[in-house]
Amino acid sequence: MTSSNKLTPYIYLAPMLALLAFVFGFSFIRVFEFSFKMVRGIDGPWIGLRNYQLVLSQPLFWESVKHNLLLLLAIPAMVGIALLLSLLLYDRLRGWKIYRTILFFPYILAIPIIAVVMKQMFQFSGPVNEVLRWLSLDFMTLDWIGSTDVALWTVMLLIIWRESALGVILFLSRLLSLDEALIEAARLDGANWWQRAWYVLIPQMRSVIEFYVVISVITMLSAVFAYVYMMGGGRGGPGTSTMVTELYIYNALTRTSLPGVASAVAVMLFVVSLMLTYVLFVVRRRADEEEA
Amino acid sequence: MTDKANPAQQIGRRKFLQTTAAGAGTLALGSLFGPLPAQAKNPELNMWWWGEQELPGLQAYINESVAKYTAATVKPMLQETAVVISQFQTAAAAGTPPDLQYLWNGIYHMESVWLGYLKPLNGLMSEDTLRASNPTILSNYGGNTYRAGWYPLPMVWYYNKDMFDKAGLNADTPPTTWPELLDACEKLKIAGFEPLGGGVQDGYWAEWYMSHAFVQSLDTVGEAVELFIGDKDFNDPRYHECWVRLEELRKLGYLNKDMPSLELYPGIDLVVAGKLGIGQSVGSRLPADSKATNGRIGSMVMPVFGKGKLAGKPIVDMQGLGISEKSANPEAAAAFLEYLNTPERLEAFYKATGWLPSSSRFNSDLIQDASVKNMWKAWGQSPNITNVTSLMPGQFYEQAAIPTGQQVVQGKLTGEQAGELAARVAKEWREFNPDLVEKYQKWVIDLSK
Repeated sequence: MTSSNKLTPYIYLAPMLALLAFVFGFSFIRVFEFSFKMVRGIDGPWIGLRNYQLVLSQPLFWESVKHNLLLLLAIPAMVGIALLLSLLLYDRLRGWKIYRTILFFPYILAIPIIAVVMKQMFQFSGPVNEVLRWLSLDFMTLDWIGSTDVALWTVMLLIIWRESALGVILFLSRLLSLDEALIEAARLDGANWWQRAWYVLIPQMRSVIEFYVVISVITMLSAVFAYVYMMGGGRGGPGTSTMVTELYIYNALTRTSLPGVASAVAVMLFVVSLMLTYVLFVVRRRADEEEA
Repeated sequence: MTDKANPAQQIGRRKFLQTTAAGAGTLALGSLFGPLPAQAKNPELNMWWWGEQELPGLQAYINESVAKYTAATVKPMLQETAVVISQFQTAAAAGTPPDLQYLWNGIYHMESVWLGYLKPLNGLMSEDTLRASNPTILSNYGGNTYRAGWYPLPMVWYYNKDMFDKAGLNADTPPTTWPELLDACEKLKIAGFEPLGGGVQDGYWAEWYMSHAFVQSLDTVGEAVELFIGDKDFNDPRYHECWVRLEELRKLGYLNKDMPSLELYPGIDLVVAGKLGIGQSVGSRLPADSKATNGRIGSMVMPVFGKGKLAGKPIVDMQGLGISEKSANPEAAAAFLEYLNTPERLEAFYKATGWLPSSSRFNSDLIQDASVKNMWKAWGQSPNITNVTSLMPGQFYEQAAIPTGQQVVQGKLTGEQAGELAARVAKEWREFNPDLVEKYQKWVIDLSK
C-alpha cells in the first residue's frame, strides 16, 4: 500500500472526526478540567485530586458501583433467554415472523414508557401481586418497587425483558446467515433439536454472543439510567437501593450542586467504558476474521 | 389568508426597498450621532418564571398582567422544572440573566445569592410591599432580602372527616397531641381503615414528614443549620426523635401497607378517596380536594410530640420572585414586582388560579370555599413558620432526608439508625463543601433572628 493509500481512510474520516471534536470536544475537555476543580456556578478553584478522594471515600459511591456490578448478573439470563428464543424462531415455527416482531417490540418502546407501566404493575396493590393472590400464591407477593431488598431485582427483571429483545434479533440474524447444509447434515445424522443447537448452531454463533455480552456489560455499567430513574422514584430509591453510578453523576450535577464531583465520577466511568469499548473492538475484529 | 389580513403583502417591492434604504440610513446616522434618548423607549424586562406546572392558570395570569402593564415591556418565559436553577445560574454566569427570576425558597435560591447573581430587594422595592409579600426568613442573608413572596404553599396534614365520623372521632376537633394522634389511629384501625400514611416511593413524603416532624425539636430555624454545619449532632436523641416517632407509627401498624410502593400524589388521593384516614398534603390542593368531597377534607397541623419552640406551629412555604444582579433595569423590574402586589393584581391571581397569592394585602373575603378559608386563617393569617427542609443542603436532602424516611417506613432503619445516617451524611456534606459551610455559618445569623 502506498503512503497516499494509507492516508485515504483518514481523509474520509476527517470530516466526521472534526464534527465530533466540534460537538463533544469542548465539553469533554471541560469535564476533565472540572474533575480537578471545586466548581460553583460555571467554574471554580483548582483542588487537584480532592474530588476523586471524596468520591472514593464515600459509601454511597461504592454502593452505586456495587449495584452496577450486581446488574451484570442479568447478562447470563439475557443471553440464555435470547439464545433460546432465537433458536426456537430459527426453527421457523408457524407464524415465526409475527413472534419475531412481538419479541422485538419491547426494544422499540422507550424505556420511560415501559417503566411507567411496569411501575404500576409492580405496586404492592398492583396487578402482579393481585394475580399472585388470585392464584393463592400469596407467599410470592412482594413489595417489588417499595422494598430495598427487592427493588434492584425488579429493575433487573425489566432490563432482562427489554434488553433480551436485542439479543434475539442479533442471534437470529446470525442464525439466518448460517449455511443450512450443515444443519441438514446433522439432522440426517440423527441429531435431535438439542444436539443440533449445542454442537452445530451455538458454536457458530460464538462471535455474536461475545459481541452481545460486551454490549450488555457496557449497558449495565453505563447505560441503565433511564431504568433506575423511572423505577427508583427518580432518586435510586427506595433508600439508595437502586442507586447506580450514572444516577450518582446526575444527582451530583443537578441536585447537590457538585459539578466537580459529578465530573470526577464521569471521568472514571469514561475510562471504564473506554476499556470495555476496546474489548468490544477486539471481539468484533476476531468475529470479522472468523467470518472471513 | 386575505391581503387585508396581512398588510405586509400589500407593500410593493419598490416601497419595501425604499423603506429599507431609509431604515439603513437612519441606522447609519444613528451610529454617527449616538443612541436616541433612553426615555423615548419603554424599558424591556425579561422574566423567567415557573409555576404553571403546580398551579394551572398561572400562565394566563402572567399573560394578562404583562399585557396590562404599560410601564415596561415584560417578556415572560416559562421554565422547565428541571432547569429552573441551572438555567438561571448559567445565564447569570454568562452575564445574560433575565431581569426577573422565579425563585424557590431557601437554599434553592440562596446559592445564587452566594454566587452574586441576585440583587437585594430591600431598597429597590418598598419595604411595606416586600414585607407584605411574605418572603419568609429563608430569603434573608447578610441583613438583606433577596426574594419577594409570590404564592404560598401551606404544609398541612389532611384527614378525611367521613372516616373520622365512622371511627367515632370528632371530625371538628382533629388530634393536636401525639397521644391523641395514636388514639385516633387506633380507632380508625378498629373501624377497619388504614389510619395514616400516603406514598413514599418517590421520596417527597419523607421530605414533608421532616418539614412537619423534625421542626418540632427546634427552637429556631437556625438550629437546623447548626446540625448541618456540625455545631449540633443528629445522634442526639432530640434531633432524631422525628424518625423514632415514625418508627412508632409503623410498629403500631398505623401506616398504609402500600406506602413504600406508592408515590406522593396517589398517596394523598387515598385520603381524598376515603381509603386512608390521615395523610400529608399541601394547601394548594385543598380547593380541588374540598370540592371533590363536598368539604369533607379537613386540614390540621401535625400533632405535637416535640418540645422545641417551633412545635405545633403551622408551616407555610413560599414561592417567590427576585431580580438579577446584572439586570439592566433593576428599578423597572422592582416596579413590576410592586405592580404584581397591587390589590387588583392579587385578586386577578386568585381568579386565574383559584389559589391565593402570598401577600397579606390580598382580600381573603374573596375566598369562597369554607375549608380553604379556615385553612388560610389558621396557616396564612396566624403566626406560622417556614419550611425547614428548604434550607437543607441538596446533598443532605438527597442522601439523608429522603432515604431515612423511606427506610424507616419499611422497617429497614430504626429511628436511631436514621439519626446515625443523617449525622454521617451531614459530615460528608461538610467535607464535600467546605466553602458552603462558611456561607451557612453566616446564614445562621439571619435564620436565628
